[in-house]
Amino acid sequence: MILEVVLLALAWMALTGDWSPAAAVFSLVLGWLLLRLARPLGGEGFRRVRLARLPGFLLFFLKEIVVANLTVAAAVLAPSGRLRPAIVAIPLALDRDAEIALLANLITLTPGTLSLDVSPDRRTLYVHAMSTSGPDDLRREIQQGFERRILEVFR
Amino acid sequence: MSPALLGATVALALVGAAVLLALVRLVRGPDLANRVVAVDLLSALGVGIAGVAAVASDDPVYLDVALVLALIAFLGTVAFARYAEQGGDE
Amino acid sequence: MSLLVALLLVLGALFMLLAGVGLVRLPDLYLRMSATSKAATLGASLVLLGAAVHFGTAAVAGRAVVIVVFLFLTAPVAAHAIGRAGYRRKSPLWSGTIVDELADADPDRKESA
Repeated sequence: MILEVVLLALAWMALTGDWSPAAAVFSLVLGWLLLRLARPLGGEGFRRVRLARLPGFLLFFLKEIVVANLTVAAAVLAPSGRLRPAIVAIPLALDRDAEIALLANLITLTPGTLSLDVSPDRRTLYVHAMSTSGPDDLRREIQQGFERRILEVFR
Repeated sequence: MSPALLGATVALALVGAAVLLALVRLVRGPDLANRVVAVDLLSALGVGIAGVAAVASDDPVYLDVALVLALIAFLGTVAFARYAEQGGDE
Repeated sequence: MSLLVALLLVLGALFMLLAGVGLVRLPDLYLRMSATSKAATLGASLVLLGAAVHFGTAAVAGRAVVIVVFLFLTAPVAAHAIGRAGYRRKSPLWSGTIVDELADADPDRKESA
């Protein structure tokens, strides 16, 4: 809750370009009010956030984006030979709404893979991949890559 | 011409080409979902164009355009997707 | 500095063009979305970072960075919404798709396929 209020306040001050103390107080109060209003809409949050591990997580994520964007570039420029698409069911170790949402979004943002759906019991994530050597390889990549890192930061 | 202005000019030509390609997909479809993807790309391109315009005109007010476009585009795309999912017409 | 701005703008524009090419060339909805949802987001973000460097002041750069963060937060949500809607409306998968484990889990779809 405190973290979210601070993030909202930072976004407000960055957008208005006003970093004065008055703006800080105003944006903190506004952020707190908005979060109270929005609370009934939210699902389960994270259990905890290990802030010290967040920078490493973000760096890993940035690296994934850059490396894999080049893969997509290759696939777009020469589609015929490189495309081996598949929709794969990934069993989830994560169980909180916030964790699953984060994993799904990270998968979509890294090129080549796209989250399509979550099973009604929320134990399986369905992912579309542009090019995969096989469903088991993709399962292993995601479970040992993003999912393991999410467990490290948010558990 | 400064390098920044030259870069903005080249960038505008490239994004313009991307807009034409997105329009091709918008016309061809073949279904509603594909057209929503095309519209979504068009609005992302609009955000890019606003960014280029900010540099080319040396006026940061275009960043507000980019922000508002990004906000509205997101709402529009999600609304379209909901409509399609609930069985809207082709 | 001006050179860096030019580089960021052109690189960002190239990624956006790549998204456009992918949207036209790739054979089905899901592949097209894979190309657009990230190449376009990365492209627009690079252009906005270029604008941030160009103006150089904290007020403007801060605004540009917040827009970039917003793009990265919303792009996957939008892509997920379109992808799921497209799949439920049975937007066809490319014939070269090697496996569809979502169809296996959804008997309703299997029958109609």
